[in-house]
Amino acid sequence: MSEEREGVRGQDHDVQQGKYMTFKSGNEYFGLKLQYVSEIIPFQAITAIPETEDYIKGLINLRGKILPVIDVRRRFKQEPFEYNDRTCIMVIIVKDTMVGLVVEQIAEVVEIADENILPPPTIMRGDRLQNKYVYGIGRVGDSVKLLIDPDKLLNDNDNSAAEQTNDMSDDDEREV
Amino acid sequence: MAEEFNVEGMLDMYLFENGQLLEQLQETVLEQKDAECFDEDTINEIFRTMHTIKGSSGIMMFDNVTAISHKLEDVFYYLRESHPQNVVHEELVEHVLQVVDFITGEMDKIQDGSPVDGDPADIIAELDRFLEEIKNGAVKEGKELPKANVSEEPKHFYIAPVANSASHFYKIYITFFPDTDMANVHAYKTVYALKELAEDLLYEPEDLISDESSITTLLEEGFRILLQAQCSEADIRQVIKTGYDIEKVDIFECKAEEFLQGFDFGDHQEPEIDLQSSVEEIEAKAQAEQEGAEEQEAEKNEKPEKIEKPEKPKMAPGDFVIQSKSPGKPKKLAKDKPKTEKAAFISVNVQKMDQLMDLIGELVISESVVLQNPDLKVPGLNLDNFNKAATQMAKIATDLQNVIMSMRMVPLTNLFQKMNRIVFDVSRKLGKDIEFEMIGEHTEVDKNISEKISDPLMHLVRNAVDHGIETNEERAESGKTDKGKVTLAAKTEAGKVWITVSDNGKGLDRTKILAKAKKQGLLDPDRLESSYEDKEVFQFITLPGFSTNEQVTEYSGRGVGMDVVVQNIQSIGGTLEIESTAGFGSSMILKIPLTLAIIDGIVMETGTTSFVVETSFIKQFVRVTEEMMIHEPTGEEYVMIRDECYPVLRIGDWYGLEDYRSNVEEGMMLLFEVEGKTICLFVDKLIGKQEIVVKPIPPYIKKVKGISGCTQLGDGSIALILDPSGLID
Repeated sequence: MSEEREGVRGQDHDVQQGKYMTFKSGNEYFGLKLQYVSEIIPFQAITAIPETEDYIKGLINLRGKILPVIDVRRRFKQEPFEYNDRTCIMVIIVKDTMVGLVVEQIAEVVEIADENILPPPTIMRGDRLQNKYVYGIGRVGDSVKLLIDPDKLLNDNDNSAAEQTNDMSDDDEREV
Repeated sequence: MAEEFNVEGMLDMYLFENGQLLEQLQETVLEQKDAECFDEDTINEIFRTMHTIKGSSGIMMFDNVTAISHKLEDVFYYLRESHPQNVVHEELVEHVLQVVDFITGEMDKIQDGSPVDGDPADIIAELDRFLEEIKNGAVKEGKELPKANVSEEPKHFYIAPVANSASHFYKIYITFFPDTDMANVHAYKTVYALKELAEDLLYEPEDLISDESSITTLLEEGFRILLQAQCSEADIRQVIKTGYDIEKVDIFECKAEEFLQGFDFGDHQEPEIDLQSSVEEIEAKAQAEQEGAEEQEAEKNEKPEKIEKPEKPKMAPGDFVIQSKSPGKPKKLAKDKPKTEKAAFISVNVQKMDQLMDLIGELVISESVVLQNPDLKVPGLNLDNFNKAATQMAKIATDLQNVIMSMRMVPLTNLFQKMNRIVFDVSRKLGKDIEFEMIGEHTEVDKNISEKISDPLMHLVRNAVDHGIETNEERAESGKTDKGKVTLAAKTEAGKVWITVSDNGKGLDRTKILAKAKKQGLLDPDRLESSYEDKEVFQFITLPGFSTNEQVTEYSGRGVGMDVVVQNIQSIGGTLEIESTAGFGSSMILKIPLTLAIIDGIVMETGTTSFVVETSFIKQFVRVTEEMMIHEPTGEEYVMIRDECYPVLRIGDWYGLEDYRSNVEEGMMLLFEVEGKTICLFVDKLIGKQEIVVKPIPPYIKKVKGISGCTQLGDGSIALILDPSGLID
């Protein structure tokens, strides 16, 4: 829905246009539009925060800025993995929110032309959950990259929001 | 002017200045809202303010603001010149506030960049009607027509500033060369130059330019000036130099009383005589004059009273009474305000301040990185000089911190004034007669905090006026003779600011709250209702959806509010306590931290996680032994310390951390006191005391109970800041 708008954002969008940062998670390769990616830093100690969703690993300190870190594997409801020296933190900025993504392995920056991007098949193998982060499938040569919508990656707007509204309406009823 | 015409800078200036003027105006008006009338100072002040706003708005071409301020200026011009006796003070106050609101609203629009499109026509029409009423009233009472008044004294139409102790009063006699052409123009030039210095200025002959005969008077009798200014005689001489036109300038410093008298005695006296007599003579004479003046003054003061006294009973309270004013008489101050030191201010962009704050935060962190550097822990190092230098640096860093903190501190005065206005508005609408008192409004808090408590405070004050204080009839029925009163008090205690909103109204109804709590299922069924302490009961009203008020009014009673108030206060690390005595009123006590940015904290560790607690919460650290522990079958734990029993909270358990110590003898107990309760927090070990820079947890992460923020430790790792009030539940 917001693709066109995001394309216009940033002065250097011409350079970044159609470029994707790809990384490996599980057996799949994923791609994220390059303009979201702020930097990639080596893995560092993460301070855990209690009582949060399991995919939020905690906080890191990036030159005095505190940012939350998400484990992409866990976010995709895949098996967690052992962090090793290939593990990286990819810092992305989506709608002014700065977040670090723990990814197994950074691959490369690829260019994918629009005509090579296919909508995801409506019936996908495996669980349905994975589907909602992926808005398209990009073909690069023989391989395929799953293109991620970072907004959906960060924000759980399914059941938790619904629960909250229920609570509120309960209150209202009581008050009336 | 050759300067570049920078509209943006002007606009900022316009908004800033007028914003201040309006704020001050509102404050003054509210101060006297209960008086019978505005005193002369206030009338002048309002007049001046409107005049200024009219002028600047005219320049900026905000026509609606210009129009409305012009209208109010008209009204006050009339009040000032004609002293009508029939003004309904309350109505006048309302009108002034209306105008203030309108202009403030328009200025907000200007700030937002939206079109300035407010239509002042209604208010102007009302003001017209109001003015008309006063004028007609004056005619009915057989008073002089204002028109006549105006034409009689237009020469005194000047804007008189108030005198203060630093002002000097001078009589100046200027003798022109007899052959000077156009002496009136020269005289006018002098007057014009003096205006720069003058706080108040009178001169004779008064009509210099349009009245040709003034030339003769000037040449024959000289030019006489009465000047009130804060400058020395030499300064005046600088301005009025003798030259081709002025033959001689005589300056006499005089007393305020003489000054008030104007030119009365000057008419009978040739200045030359004074000059020729000896110093003693002059002094004696001045003495006599002064005494005479004082007597005269005394008489003057008595006279109007005598005249007014018989009139007074006829006037209804709220009518406008102004004592007639003699020309050129500087206004007396309503209150003897202490003269404030002139301070030089510079307005700085808040963003820059925040940036500076951040940088100093970083500095504090890097300071601890340096001073606690592991490299220094190498045994056998001679660090004497390093330590000396480090201490010096730490001191400077602390000073720097204090300075930036104090820069960000603002007094609560503005906030309190806002509340004053709310009390006024709401009580007026509800028809309640309510007094408002402010105590300690000069208490300072961090600017961010002051902004954040504005809404909660507004809500509490509204509640106090709406629910707290009974209607006038109810008060009379319950035998209360005193006026309804809302008190807003602020003080600093134990590193926190306490803001209390109290009223002398009916207080909270314990039984009613309990009944409602029962209905909503908030009470513990196993507990007797009477076993609830008052404090606990009152805390119920801070729950969402809880309102005992049967009727929803315009201002409150919907049950949303108190919970929001509490939430807002908690979000800045504050607490709300409620005290109430049925029949005698209630107090809401806000305790908020002075500043949010840098706190003194104790760093500790549990498992692999570091936590920080603000030092002021901690009562003591205790090492306990297994014998001191009491285990309940339900899993709850207590610890006996010096014959007192405290509940224990294991932080590792609470947050489900890994690898924390479970043996109490290996860890450390921290005794906390929060909201009157004491709990024991069990952690693995203490790391040390440190000044920490509070950073918010990124909003992306949902709020975790008991954690109010995070900070960066000396080694660059992150510690979570515990908020003890969140742990108690």
